Amino acid sequence: MGAERIGGSGRKPILSVEHLSFRYPDSKRPALTDVNLEVGEGEVVILAGPSGCGKSTLLRCVNGLIPHMYPGDYSGKVAVAGLEVASTQMSTLAQNVGLLFQNPENQIFMFSVERDVAFGLQNLAVPRGEMRARVDESMRLLGITDLAHRAPHELSDGQKQRAALAGVLAMRPRLIILDEPTSLLDPKTALDVVSLIARLNGELGITFIVVEHRLELLTPIASRLVVMDGGTKVMDGPPRAVLADPSAEAHGVGAPPVVRLYNSLAAEGLRLPRFPDSPDEMAQELNSL
Amino acid sequence: MKALDGVTLSIGGGETVAIVGENGAGKTTLVRHTNGLLKPTSGSVKVDGVETRSTTTATLSRKIGIAFQNPDHQLFSDSVENEVRFAMRNFRFPEERIAERLEWALSFFGLEQYRKSSPLVLSGGEKKRLTLASILAWDPDVVVLDEPTVGQDSLQKAKLAQIFSLLRSTGKTIVIVSHDVEFLWPLQPRLVVMSGGKVVADGEMAKTMADRGLLEGARVTQPQLLRLYAGLRDAPASPFVDVSQARDWASGKKSGRRGG
Amino acid sequence: MYWLRGGFVFTRVVSPFHRLDPRIKLLVSLEFFLTSLITKTVPEVLAVLLAILGVAALAKSLKRIARTMAFSGLFALFIFAVNFLFGIGLLNAVVYSVRFLAIISSTSIFFVTTSPDELEQIMTWMHVPRDVVFAFVTAVRFIPVVMLDALQIMDAQKSRGLEFERGNVVKRVRNMVPIMIPLVVNSVIRSGELAEAMESRAYGSTPKPTSLYKMNLRWYDAAVAAAGLAVLAAVALYIYHYVHFGA
Repeated sequence: MGAERIGGSGRKPILSVEHLSFRYPDSKRPALTDVNLEVGEGEVVILAGPSGCGKSTLLRCVNGLIPHMYPGDYSGKVAVAGLEVASTQMSTLAQNVGLLFQNPENQIFMFSVERDVAFGLQNLAVPRGEMRARVDESMRLLGITDLAHRAPHELSDGQKQRAALAGVLAMRPRLIILDEPTSLLDPKTALDVVSLIARLNGELGITFIVVEHRLELLTPIASRLVVMDGGTKVMDGPPRAVLADPSAEAHGVGAPPVVRLYNSLAAEGLRLPRFPDSPDEMAQELNSL
Repeated sequence: MKALDGVTLSIGGGETVAIVGENGAGKTTLVRHTNGLLKPTSGSVKVDGVETRSTTTATLSRKIGIAFQNPDHQLFSDSVENEVRFAMRNFRFPEERIAERLEWALSFFGLEQYRKSSPLVLSGGEKKRLTLASILAWDPDVVVLDEPTVGQDSLQKAKLAQIFSLLRSTGKTIVIVSHDVEFLWPLQPRLVVMSGGKVVADGEMAKTMADRGLLEGARVTQPQLLRLYAGLRDAPASPFVDVSQARDWASGKKSGRRGG
Repeated sequence: MYWLRGGFVFTRVVSPFHRLDPRIKLLVSLEFFLTSLITKTVPEVLAVLLAILGVAALAKSLKRIARTMAFSGLFALFIFAVNFLFGIGLLNAVVYSVRFLAIISSTSIFFVTTSPDELEQIMTWMHVPRDVVFAFVTAVRFIPVVMLDALQIMDAQKSRGLEFERGNVVKRVRNMVPIMIPLVVNSVIRSGELAEAMESRAYGSTPKPTSLYKMNLRWYDAAVAAAGLAVLAAVALYIYHYVHFGA
C-alpha cells in the first residue's frame, strides 16, 4: 500500500541534501556528518533513529532554522523546491516548507484559533481577502472550522496539534516536516493525525517527512524509511526492506511486533505475499495459507 | 461532571498494575489521589491502612513515590547528586543512609559519570532516569509511573523494561499509567482499563485486552500480537488453541503449529 | 489569585457591551476612571459606582465585577481606616475608599470584556511597536499555561516530601526554590520553542503585517462614544463651575 506513493522517477526532487555537515558552535562533535538525501515530490518519508542521532538537526536544516536562526559550522548544500536553503530568506522558505513541532502548546501564539492560523499569512503581508479564504480553507481541511474562535487553553492536545498544522498549511508549503508530532498524544489521537497526513498527501500531493519513534503508526502510509545514527544516514529504503534488516534494531529502530513476526517467518523460509501493515492484514495472510 | 466515579480498586504488595485509558479517562486524577495530592470528595483512599485524608502528601510520599511525566517539572538542583538527595533530606534520613542510597541509585540507573553535573544539561533519556533515580533512592514501597515511555526510542524503552523487571524481582509494588500497550505487553501486568472516570475492566492483561468491544469503547489500542491472535482464532481453520501457544509460536518456537 | 482571574481575565460572552469596538470599551473605562477620580462627595462617588455596575450588567458580567469589588473590599477598608485616622473626616474617608472600588472595577470592566486579540488591535492602532504587541499578546496567551505548569511542579515536589505550608519565613522562601527554578527553566525552554515556531512561520518578514480583522466603528459605537463624551463634557463643566464658584 505504501509502495505506490513513491515519487515518480524523472521528476525533480522536492528536497535535495548533499554532503551536509553541521556542528553547533558550542559543541565539540558535529551534529551531522556528510548526510545525503533526496526526496521526491509526493513521498511520505519516515525519519527514525535513536535519540541524539541528528534527526531534529536535519529537520532544522531543511526548513532553514539552520543556518538562519542557528549559525554554526555548516558545509554542504540543502535545496528545497529548487531553492538553496542557506541563501534563501526564511520568509520565502516558509512558503515552501513547513515545520510542525512536537509540543502542540508551544506553537500556538494567538488567543483564538483562526487568528493563529492566519499568523504566518500576516507575516507575509497577505491581503485580508486572500487571508480569509486561506484560513477558512485550512481550517476546513483540518476539520476545525467550529473551533475558529476558541482559545488554545480550551482545546485538547489533538485539537491543538490540528490547529498548528492548519497554521502551517495556510502558507501552502509543498513539503511539510513534522518533529515527533504524536509523541505527546494518546494512540487514538495519534491515529487521527496520521490519517490527516495521509489525506493531505493524497488530496493535495504535499510531501511529508515525519520524525517518529512509533513506526507502526506510519508504515501503512510511508513509502520510505530513513534511519540516522550518530549524525549520519545509515539506512534508506522502503520500510519493509529496512525493517527486515537485523541491523535496524541496533540503530534504535524497533520493528513493530507484527513486522518482527513477519521477519522471523521469512527467515524460516515462509515469505508471506504482502508486507503486513497491521495485525489484521497479517491474520488475513496467515489464514489464507 | 465527575472526574472519578465510584472507583474501587485495591492493590496488594508486590503487584505490578498497569492503568490504561484515553486522555481524560481519569488515570492521572486517580494517581494523584494515591499520595494525597487530591483528596476524595466521597469515599476513601487508604495507603497501608492509613486514610490519605488524615495526613499530608509529604508523609504519604514516604511510602508512595510518584514519577510524573515531565522531568522538567522537577529537576532543579545544582548537581545530579543533590537532586537524588533532595527527597531523602526532606524525609530526614540519617546522613549515612542518604550516602548509601545515593550510591545505589547512581549505579542502578547508570548516572555515576554525571554525579557532579547539572541535571539541566542531561539528555531527555538521562533526565528521565534521573527522576526515577531520585524517587527510588528513598525506597518507597510503591512506585507509580505516569507515562514513563513517552518520547523514548526503542533502546531507551528496552532499558526501562529491564529496570522494571529488576524492581519487580525485589518485591516492589509497581503501578504504571501508560498508553504504550506494546511496552506493557511483555510485562503481563494486571490491567485496569479506565473510561469516563470509571474502571471498566480489571484483570490479567491477556484476558482484559481480548475484549475488543470494551477496548474500542475505552479508546485503547490492542497489542498487535493479541489482535493477530484474535484474527487467527476467529478464522474457521485456526492452528492455535490458546494465547500462550500463539505467543510461543510468535516468539519463534514451533510447538503446536499445524499445517504449513 | 482568584481576584486576578475573576476580575481581569477575559471570557467569551455575548453581550451588547462586548460587541462594541474595543476602542470604545477603552473610552468607557477611561471615562469611569476619570470621573471617579474627580468625585468629591459620597453621593457623587456612589453614582459613579452604580453607573459602573450598570454597565457591568449590560456586559452580563455583573457577578464578576461585584465579586472583584468584594475581594477589593479589604483593601478599601484599609484605605478608609488610614484616611480616617489621619483626620480628614468620616465622609471624605468613605469617598476615598469607595473611589478605590470604582477605580478597580472600571479597570476590571475593560479587561473582562476585551479579548487579548482586541488588545492587540488597540495597541497596533496606537502604533505600539509590533514586537511589543506580540510579546504582550503571547504573554497573556500563556498565562493559563504557566499557571498549570506551576501547579504541576508543586505536585511533583510535594511528592518528594517538600512541605511549603510549614516553617518560618526563611524556610518558606527556601522552599520556593524547587518551584521557581523549574518554572523559570520551563519558560526559557518554551521561549526557545516559540522562537523556532515564529521563525518557521516567517515572523519579522515585513514591518507591516496585515490582519484578519479590521476595527470598524458602527453606529452604536458612535452613539456610546457620543453619550460618553457628553457625560465628560457635563462633568468638565461641573468642575469648572466648582473651581470658579466653589459650589
